[in-house]
Amino acid sequence: MVAKARRERVERTDRGSPVPQWEVFVRDSETDPLRHVGSVAAHSAAEAHEHATRLFGWYAVDVWLCPADAVERFTTSAFPATDEGDVTEETDAERESGAETEIDTETNGRRIAEGEPRSYEETIGEPR
Amino acid sequence: MISISKLLCDLDAEGDGLRYDAADESNTHQITKRRQRRPVVVWNTTRQCNLYCSHCYAAAEDEPAPGELTTAEGKAFLDQLADYGVPVVLFSGGEPLVRDDLEELVAYAADAGLRPVLSTNGTLITAERAAALRDAGLQYAGISVDGRPERNDSFRGREGAFDAAVRGIEHCLDAGLKTGLRYTITSANAGDLEAVIDLLVDVGLDRFCFYHLDYGGRGAELVDADLTPTERRAAIERLCELTLEYHDDGEEIETLLVGNYADAAFLVEYASERFGDARARTVRDYLERNGGDPTGERIADVDYCGNVHLTQFWQGYSLGNVRDRPFGELWEDETNPLLRALRERETHLTGRCSECRYRSICRGASRLRALAVEDDLFAPDPQCYLTEGEIAPGDAFAGGSAD
Repeated sequence: MVAKARRERVERTDRGSPVPQWEVFVRDSETDPLRHVGSVAAHSAAEAHEHATRLFGWYAVDVWLCPADAVERFTTSAFPATDEGDVTEETDAERESGAETEIDTETNGRRIAEGEPRSYEETIGEPR
Repeated sequence: MISISKLLCDLDAEGDGLRYDAADESNTHQITKRRQRRPVVVWNTTRQCNLYCSHCYAAAEDEPAPGELTTAEGKAFLDQLADYGVPVVLFSGGEPLVRDDLEELVAYAADAGLRPVLSTNGTLITAERAAALRDAGLQYAGISVDGRPERNDSFRGREGAFDAAVRGIEHCLDAGLKTGLRYTITSANAGDLEAVIDLLVDVGLDRFCFYHLDYGGRGAELVDADLTPTERRAAIERLCELTLEYHDDGEEIETLLVGNYADAAFLVEYASERFGDARARTVRDYLERNGGDPTGERIADVDYCGNVHLTQFWQGYSLGNVRDRPFGELWEDETNPLLRALRERETHLTGRCSECRYRSICRGASRLRALAVEDDLFAPDPQCYLTEGEIAPGDAFAGGSAD
């Protein structure tokens, strides 16, 4: 039996940067399901459609748009609460419950690809 | 990012690839043999800025945006980056120094194994904050200046911004922080390049990073103020000459180019003309490993609300939001047709790019400029300044000596 996923509600916050975000869904062909492909910034549905068409119109048969603020999101990979105190409480609670976390305290959770160099010539800020 | 000084002054004609590989674990300047596999991540920590720059890609304002990542959320986001193996996080804005938790976040990033670097207008850097950032683990500060004092202040919307930025540079240097200049080239300030370098070398700076204008944010409103391709070629050629002159005089300044990978092809041609074909092959070999335009691959941007962008200039489109899904999952998800197409863009490029012999080291340069001007994601970059003869099909200088 598969355990039920423990999802948390993603707090609805303004995602405009600063233009409002529209979630974009496209269908590759008539027989494919709609798929979420990110969001575009636009002041109106028409502008969002125009923008999404420029990015995806070269192949999608359908483009659907939804104001990002209108979406209720529930996820198993929720961010911490927005208050520092809440985060500490949540972390402590998890520790007390013995819940397994993905964070390895020795490596601080990092998954560095084997042999991956830690700094690059191609790096903003790579000092001489 | 393309290093003029490295390619023209520091690479010998033969064998450099292997020589520099040996420096992987050292603290000295290095060239990696492998392509970077995880992106450098620019984090726009806030929309708020104390200046109002005419070319700001982030469309910064004098107030923070609603929904900006809090300190706790910022730390969780940095954990996501560390977990994914991101090598570098670039704290940007708006103006990152308006956040009073900047030092705390920099320290958190450093403790998590990320390399924290900073992009700032420099005007808020005091001696105390420079020291605090150094102590927090900051590895580098890039400070923006866009011309001689009057021109810079006009660009940046505040009288005295140039002098304040220079004071910021001095505070960083005094604190022992690696510090460099960031300069966005437009038709208005291209003539100031030389004077600004001369002035800041006198201040003690030795690293100069030149950005081509990309057409995102308020920069999209400046398309008409951008250099023409001919002017751009002249500006890049002058930077090459200036770099060589400084090095010939014993001043080993570092000069870098960002935002137009036509520069890669130009540097191969320039190296051939100036130093001969052997050097051109070495330069091309290095640039092949470098990987061409990094959009959607070696550079990523996360805005103050957590939206993930293909570069810092692609603010109009987001792959998703780190509040919903970890950064690494969003970046790895190639079911996104746009992300997948950009990562195999050589097969989609059209027009003069489609058979260009420098396609592998340029990769079509800016897709954002193509989109803004041509309304076509895979059209040639309107700011390609290479001649038809230079881009003719063939394998000029391919198969470098370093292999």
